[in-house]
Amino acid sequence: MKKAIALALAVLATSIVAASAQGSSKVANASTAVSCKGTFDLPFLTPLTGGAGFLGTEQASWAKYAVKTLPSQYGLKVKLLLGDTPAEAGPAPALALAQKYIADPRVVAVLGPSTSGDAGATAKPFFAAGIAEVSPSATHTDLTYGTPGDPLTGTPAFFRDVARDDQQGSTDAAFMIGKLHVKKVVSMDFQEPYSVGLSKEVDDALQKHGVTVIHFSAPNTTTDYSAYVTKVPSDTDIVFFPTQKPGDAQTMAQQLIEQGKKAKVFGGDGSNDPSQFKVPGSYLSNFAAPISLFPYNKSIIAGWQKDNPGKQVGSFGPPTFGAVQIILQGIKATCADDHGVIKARHDVIRHIKKVKIKNFILGGNFAFSTKTNDPLNRGFYIFQIQSNGTYKLVQSPGA
Amino acid sequence: MDTFIQLTIDALTLGSVYALIALGYTLVYGVLKLLNFAHGDVFMVGSFIGFGVFNALGGGSTPKVPVWLLLTLVTLAAMVGCAGLGVVIERFAYRPLRDAPRIAPLISALGVSFFLANSMQLLFGAQPRNYNVFNLDNGALYLKGFDIGQVRVPLLRIITITSAFVLMLVLWFLVNRTRTGKAMRATSFDREAAAMMGIDIDRVIVFTFVLGSALAGAAGVMFALRVPTTVSIGFVSGLKGFTAAVIGGIGSVPGAMAGGLILGFAESYTEGYVSTKWSDLVVFCLLIAFMIFRPQGLLGRADIRKV
Amino acid sequence: MTDSTPHSGHVPAEGPAVGQDEWVARHTERRLRREGPLGRLQNRLDLVPWWAWLVLFLALFSLFPLVEKSGYVRIVAFDTVLYMLLALGLNVVVGWGGLLDLGYVAFYGIGAYTYAFLDSNQFHVHLPTIVSVPLIVALGAVVGLLLGLPSRRLSGDYLAIVTLFFLQLFQTLTTNGDSVGGHNITGGPFGILNIDPYSFFGHQLPIQHNGIFNVAYLYVALGAFALVFVALRFVNHSRTGRAWRSLREDPLAAEAMGMPVSWLKLMSFSFGAAVAALTGTLFAAVTGSVFPLAFYFVLLITIYTMVILGGSGNQAGVVLGALVIAPLLELLRDAGKSRVIFFLVLVGGLALASRRSRGLAAVALGTLVFGFALHAIAGAVHADWVAGEHQGGFAGVVDHWVVAPAHLARWIPPIAYVGTIVAVLVCTLLRGAPRLVALVPTLYLAAFVWENVMLSKPEPARYIVLGLILIALMILRPNGLLGERRVEII
Repeated sequence: MKKAIALALAVLATSIVAASAQGSSKVANASTAVSCKGTFDLPFLTPLTGGAGFLGTEQASWAKYAVKTLPSQYGLKVKLLLGDTPAEAGPAPALALAQKYIADPRVVAVLGPSTSGDAGATAKPFFAAGIAEVSPSATHTDLTYGTPGDPLTGTPAFFRDVARDDQQGSTDAAFMIGKLHVKKVVSMDFQEPYSVGLSKEVDDALQKHGVTVIHFSAPNTTTDYSAYVTKVPSDTDIVFFPTQKPGDAQTMAQQLIEQGKKAKVFGGDGSNDPSQFKVPGSYLSNFAAPISLFPYNKSIIAGWQKDNPGKQVGSFGPPTFGAVQIILQGIKATCADDHGVIKARHDVIRHIKKVKIKNFILGGNFAFSTKTNDPLNRGFYIFQIQSNGTYKLVQSPGA
Repeated sequence: MDTFIQLTIDALTLGSVYALIALGYTLVYGVLKLLNFAHGDVFMVGSFIGFGVFNALGGGSTPKVPVWLLLTLVTLAAMVGCAGLGVVIERFAYRPLRDAPRIAPLISALGVSFFLANSMQLLFGAQPRNYNVFNLDNGALYLKGFDIGQVRVPLLRIITITSAFVLMLVLWFLVNRTRTGKAMRATSFDREAAAMMGIDIDRVIVFTFVLGSALAGAAGVMFALRVPTTVSIGFVSGLKGFTAAVIGGIGSVPGAMAGGLILGFAESYTEGYVSTKWSDLVVFCLLIAFMIFRPQGLLGRADIRKV
Repeated sequence: MTDSTPHSGHVPAEGPAVGQDEWVARHTERRLRREGPLGRLQNRLDLVPWWAWLVLFLALFSLFPLVEKSGYVRIVAFDTVLYMLLALGLNVVVGWGGLLDLGYVAFYGIGAYTYAFLDSNQFHVHLPTIVSVPLIVALGAVVGLLLGLPSRRLSGDYLAIVTLFFLQLFQTLTTNGDSVGGHNITGGPFGILNIDPYSFFGHQLPIQHNGIFNVAYLYVALGAFALVFVALRFVNHSRTGRAWRSLREDPLAAEAMGMPVSWLKLMSFSFGAAVAALTGTLFAAVTGSVFPLAFYFVLLITIYTMVILGGSGNQAGVVLGALVIAPLLELLRDAGKSRVIFFLVLVGGLALASRRSRGLAAVALGTLVFGFALHAIAGAVHADWVAGEHQGGFAGVVDHWVVAPAHLARWIPPIAYVGTIVAVLVCTLLRGAPRLVALVPTLYLAAFVWENVMLSKPEPARYIVLGLILIALMILRPNGLLGERRVEII
């Protein structure tokens, strides 16, 4: 008995001593040189299963299409690696996958992470390893616009091609105040980072202008909103509903009508899906106009639909396509600068920052802001649902 | 007062769905002494079967048959499909374990639940499906109905609540007034004695699963008519149905009905009057309180262990 | 390593002695009857003391990072050690205590959250690891005790329900804990971020170097594992362990013999919870953040599969179970590796089963021929039908044996999947020659479904594999790999 306890303690002590003497690893790091001739690995960290799985699946289909059609235009060869980070599992899968991709010498940039939580958790390891990240949907403000020391602050290696939550919140609130002249608003959150952050921005902006705001918090698993609808006062103008499931926005709107309330639903970019959310009179905001508005996107849409028969063009997919394009252009610029070889992985970060794209898939020309890693002049578009279920643009950014 | 009426209607709607699910749990527990964790996922499959049939018949915008026929067919299809699924699960995942230690079929049920939920996700993806009954008959289901005071009770809710009650009545009749029902009750009382009396236990168990799963299928359709369904609703709804069965007294049919309604009322009133954030908590505490102070539930029999 | 044989290493007795059971007495006879070189090897191995195995295992695991430098492999190894710890803890509750605890993951979460409370900016408290970790282990034990209190009056099924609801309660509390009377306690859905890494003697142990996982944490985890393993083994071989065994086998008899049944149940809950809490601190330190949803039901099922696969009640078994399942889950994320695993398991399984029956060798051959024929026919009918592109391991097999179309019609995956399940179930119903014949198309269909349906979505496919393993285990071999067959006396 005593012998065994002594043994166990000896093992523990040895392990702690060994722990203090840290080992080094000779696999890929920030200054690894990469040849431009081979195939690059492009990892994509997104939730493919679990509650947010529909988001990742849509984005993955666009990523696949982008990797199929774009690299040849830049003279590069790219292979897409899909990494599943289910929302329920927290940041742990993202961290493990981040290690996997950091160790891979053919990785110089990462697509995603799609969720703000994963982006915050993996920002430091990726930056330390010199790998740039371009996210098509992590909109949490602090990731590019926060103060150092803030838990979710990003790094200089983190970029995104969509606008931030605080921009969405202020746009939505301004529209409600300016165009809809609201006096009373019910705003909801679903106890997860996206909606909690967004609804807070909107609440603050509205309250500053003297609008009465009533706030409800629903568990993320709620599907039946009857009890909340019952508590919505009958003189409410708008129910601000930043859900990530368009079906829930539809349910909310239907149940408001069912109980005879006059309030209209105002959804965020997460509710953008004409096939699911189509109660006339509702509003929603989105970080992009439907890409079909831009004629130069016709061939892209046609090509994607051929690969994905029967599916609708959603709102989460096109920014993924745009993000791939940004990454490829960045890699191409680095290769050109360094004559066919990327001298060090972290060079790609610099070149991505300088990327400029004409006729960007989300509309207009694309460039990053000089002050933050956000896109320049991207704003939010506001739509109203017509009586035939289609979305009509009622406000463009800057209007 | 209006709030109260509205909340009561909500409670009845929720409660009837929970009661249907709870009945499935209770029936199976009575006969097999097994908590069928996979039941919630059978409920989920039912809502998907209903979705498929609904769209095959034209869907919310262009239905090929009159509305009432559409809804009946959809519900029947879900009930039949789920009954079949329940029989298969029983035959292959539970029957081999009938004489094993009680932990074994429980864990097997967990495995089946996991398997079903992920199979559906593999085949049909993770996105929510909406029946879109909103536009049927120009919104008749939502806009027509009768009024209690200031509160309008839409047609959809009336249909949900009445069909649930009709099904429960049919079940009560089957269990209490037919021979097979009597055999079921005998088996749940004492399996060995029932076998000695000449009752075919296997057939009775299959019958039980058919009944329970069919009810789950119907519940799935009723649930999905009003809110979008996804592959993950099985777990949460299973838990709630479970809670309802246990509160009412697991093993007792009227207990499950009562338990479902109680749960519906508890949830609805808590959300309405106290706070929406804590409604889940109240439900859990209710259950834990029952488990500690009255484990046999409201109408259940106190378990007498024979030594 | 056989935990359960009390007589290993003893001189054989001559006939049953007073107080010895006949079956027990014959054990050494049976053991000596093992013949051949394999039998002699087994006899030798039986003589190796348990701690030698442990030391060997630890040595191999420790040397492994010298061979494999990739940060990814190391972090997977670290996760595997965490799983081993959790499996050991669950083994105490389920394997030794015989209690079905469906809320086990909540203790894991409690350990992680408490570490976050004590070592982050949430409350501006930063205790050194030497202080916080033992504190948390003790707290885990206490919470386990508290949760065990209702278990005194509840039997198996009801206990399962209560523990399941405890897990739900934990999730609800942590999700809504950001506005308790105006104070932010648990960080709500955002969780708690920027948790301190472990720190020893004033020096912090960083989680990563230049982005790469710090292998030191693997060693810390191994150290914790060794400690827990040894401690639990001693508990198991004490009076408490023996009392647990008798409680598990027949609670009524145990009670009649005067054992403090309630206290024993509480103890098993307590030990299990303490181990889980310890693992929680490691998790929180390395991940740097805790999140209510990270402690979810899927994790519970995974740990259960490990425990049952390895053999509940046997410590070495559950470690083995964790070693098998954790890397398996990780490998199944990748299409090429999944394919390799599938075919190796298929071929290996057939080969092993063929030792008992010649028929299965014929099945293997038949399936091979069947496959080639079908592939050739399909290719002849329409080139598109076999034109799918595949990467990764064993791609050649797919190109020539499995029919893998470039584009699948939407109705094919569900029909093929359901068809495979039906075919497998039918095979279990048949016997003899018809079964062998039916196996051929079944195996081919399974390969088809694996390649075309499951590999395109490896994520739910992994969990389907887990669920199937669980069901198959319970039906075919509930005692797992190293567990002992239990006889329940009704």
